[in-house]
Amino acid sequence: MRNYEIMFIVNPNATEEEMDKINGQVESIVTSGGGKIEKIEKMGKRRLAYDVDKHREGFYVLFVISANGDIIKECERRLRVMDAVIKYMTVRTDDEVRRLEKMRNFRQKRAARRGSGTSAASAQSAEEAMQ
Amino acid sequence: MRSVKEKRPAGQKQYYRRKKVCKFCVERIDTINYKDVKLLSQFVPERAKIMPRRISGVCSHHQRLLNDAIKKARNIALLPFATE
Repeated sequence: MRNYEIMFIVNPNATEEEMDKINGQVESIVTSGGGKIEKIEKMGKRRLAYDVDKHREGFYVLFVISANGDIIKECERRLRVMDAVIKYMTVRTDDEVRRLEKMRNFRQKRAARRGSGTSAASAQSAEEAMQ
Repeated sequence: MRSVKEKRPAGQKQYYRRKKVCKFCVERIDTINYKDVKLLSQFVPERAKIMPRRISGVCSHHQRLLNDAIKKARNIALLPFATE
């Protein structure tokens, strides 16, 4: 299982119902394949930075999911077929999370090594030194 | 600035450059998210090119993260590839 973010842009002329239908479809693909949906965020109507299929605006929708590659493949295939979806992108995020964790651990360790006192105090002094 | 000027021996070129610091290191930002358009747009001047490190002063590590984030944002039309 890996964590992904699927972001897609829906045609600005689509109705609320159509949007919900698309969201429902993506949701069902993920859940039926054994994936888990962590978050669905409708980011609302935004201006696009450049024209996509002659559209200047679009509804952004973000799915944060944990799933397998097969599910992502299926999702992307379905999104490609849907007429109302004008653009989509999938980003893998678990690498990023792991890297963050590693960095945080490293920082903590360093703080512990430096200061004989509490780690909070040493972290503060480190910050002061930075400035 | 004036004091630095006066200290220099005569005839030497007078440069005074402020030391640039990486914004992300100073603010301790570990991840640069592609959805954060407000942050990213600080590093794309009006021609929509990515600002070089020598100008922005971002460290190499964060420049790489920034690069990735900007390119992702471009892909999903949050940032432009180029402006006319």
